[in-house]
Amino acid sequence: MNLDLTSDQLTLQTAIEQLADHHRTVPTGTIDHFVPGVALERDLEENGFFDVARQDDMGAVEAALLIETIAQLPFTVEVGASALVAPMVLPGQVLPRPIALARAPFTGPVRYLTTAKTALIDTGNDVRLIDLTGANIEPVKTPFAYPYGRLTEGDIAKAKVLKGVSPALLRQWWQVSLAVEIYGVAKAAVDLTVQYVKDRRQFNRPIGQFQSVQHRLAECTMLVHGTRILARRAAWSGKASDAAEAAAYAQEAATRIHYDTHQFHGAMGITAEYPLHLWSFRLKALQGELGGQFEQAKAAAVAHWGA
Amino acid sequence: MDFEWTAEHNAFRERLRDVLTRTLPADWGVKSRYDTSSEYVSKYSRTFCPMLAKEGLLIPHWAKELGGEGLDGFHHWILGEEMVAAGEPRSYQYMSVNWVGPTLMKYGTKAQVDEFIPKIKSGNFIWCQGFSEPNAGSDLAALSTRAERTKNGYIINGSKIWTSGASFANHCFMLARTGGARRSGVSVFLIPMDAKGVEVRVIPNYIGERTVHEVFFTDVEVPEEWRLGEENKGWDIVTHVLNLERIGIPRYAFSLRVLDHAIDLLKQRGKYSDSAVQARAGRAKAACEASRHMALSIINERVNGRPASATTNVARYALVTSDRMIAEFLGDFLHDDLVGGNDPMIMSGYRRTGSVGIASGAAEVQLDLIARNLLQLPRGD
Repeated sequence: MNLDLTSDQLTLQTAIEQLADHHRTVPTGTIDHFVPGVALERDLEENGFFDVARQDDMGAVEAALLIETIAQLPFTVEVGASALVAPMVLPGQVLPRPIALARAPFTGPVRYLTTAKTALIDTGNDVRLIDLTGANIEPVKTPFAYPYGRLTEGDIAKAKVLKGVSPALLRQWWQVSLAVEIYGVAKAAVDLTVQYVKDRRQFNRPIGQFQSVQHRLAECTMLVHGTRILARRAAWSGKASDAAEAAAYAQEAATRIHYDTHQFHGAMGITAEYPLHLWSFRLKALQGELGGQFEQAKAAAVAHWGA
Repeated sequence: MDFEWTAEHNAFRERLRDVLTRTLPADWGVKSRYDTSSEYVSKYSRTFCPMLAKEGLLIPHWAKELGGEGLDGFHHWILGEEMVAAGEPRSYQYMSVNWVGPTLMKYGTKAQVDEFIPKIKSGNFIWCQGFSEPNAGSDLAALSTRAERTKNGYIINGSKIWTSGASFANHCFMLARTGGARRSGVSVFLIPMDAKGVEVRVIPNYIGERTVHEVFFTDVEVPEEWRLGEENKGWDIVTHVLNLERIGIPRYAFSLRVLDHAIDLLKQRGKYSDSAVQARAGRAKAACEASRHMALSIINERVNGRPASATTNVARYALVTSDRMIAEFLGDFLHDDLVGGNDPMIMSGYRRTGSVGIASGAAEVQLDLIARNLLQLPRGD
């Protein structure tokens, strides 16, 4: 056991951070629900980062390191499915990206579907692939800081069954991706809030001096640390039980961190002019994906103790 | 990054399990009730620990020149996990090997080392920790037990409280005020529990048979040789001790075992298939795994030679959180067992998790330390 990053992983992480440094702030005056990271996506593609898991001597852990950092940025970029889920589920096949992930029943809008060129869908019995090139996906307006679109019967009819790919494997790596992304987004939301409570003064003192604020942010910090270590373990081990535990823990953390980061920002946090929502309303979206914490926690129990 | 245990670590864990299987009586659960403080376990520890010593498993993490095996911090943590999961048959001797011995070797005189280290290594010498006082709990630096200078040493007067194992300990590693206020006037003393003027009262409690005590010191005559380290420099030793204790006990190891047992019971009763039960069990399991791996991250820091940081407090608070989830699970789904009180593992799991946030300093102190040292939030008034 050695929980330090290897020298290669540290080198990779440094390269990711250097790229991320060009994309840490949104333009002044941005009031959008979310900000698509067009330039960030281009930089990631040009530098081959989406293929990190397919490189020699690299894999899911390296993809997780990429997602950890990119999710902390204020821009919305599909990275989890492209860099982690697809390479682990279909190691021999490079899919056109962005990639949307969906599962039956196909009743609700799907994250990233409006911009995706491929969708991987879990029907419960098999995994299918939809080529969305040229598709006209109707965007859906949601409260969340991601683009959403709705699959049509026609889209689903075009889906091709991926032989030999199990839905359980897709769900497993989807869970890992969720956990890693929640870590990055949650860390950024907590970091922003910690700085805010140091700066914001009320009652002649920074509000971060109040113990009630300190304790809750310390608890949020514990949740961020716990989310990261479980997500990294799940990426490293490739075990279904680890993935379910990581996602269950992360989705519960997302709920709490969303609430506390907003609470400590007061009214400022609910304005579109202040950037908290760029992270907090990603957390809200990720909190409920794949059935939410209840489903992942059940899956964790079944993986460990059986059904 | 590598989460896999080495073959050496795995072999060490298997060896410990083998020893526990061979040694613990078949009715260990019934007899011990998994109560570290019980009369049965404390007596048992006086034969169990010498056996561990013979097997080279009492102090494997101590340096070879000190009689240990020179194994890394992960071995020490694995030892803790396996012993805690078994219900801690070492009783409070885990403190001797975790921090009392190493602290004596760092700060003790040759005479103190010669006297106490062989006793600790024999596995038949129990220490208690005389830190907390009625008015100095989480605020330890407020302690007021006084050691007044005399011609030949000191006279100690005062009292300690919440002292674990005091009624069966051989010696007390205690703090007394020898100088001014707060941290600058504290010294450490090594007091035999049968010294004249030392009295112990067991405090009835719902955690364990003899988990907490009051210890009264009335005109206890203490020779200079019983002081550890320099006079008024005891706070440095306290800091060293707390650094060695750092994340404390791998409580999750027992909690995970309790959870497994609870699931077995629920399965037998046809209640496990309820998806609400499964979700709550999975949630508690995930929290225990998070606290376990945060603790392992701290051990990883130690093994790689990095100093303690406030992430230790994060890991420690995670231990509290996951144990609370176990207690909540038992309370919600095994109510009848708790009322009936017949299952020693369920009862011990419930009792232990009930004290997790207050043992070794209130959990809120950990939150204060995270806020101050990790988040760099401004101090209060």
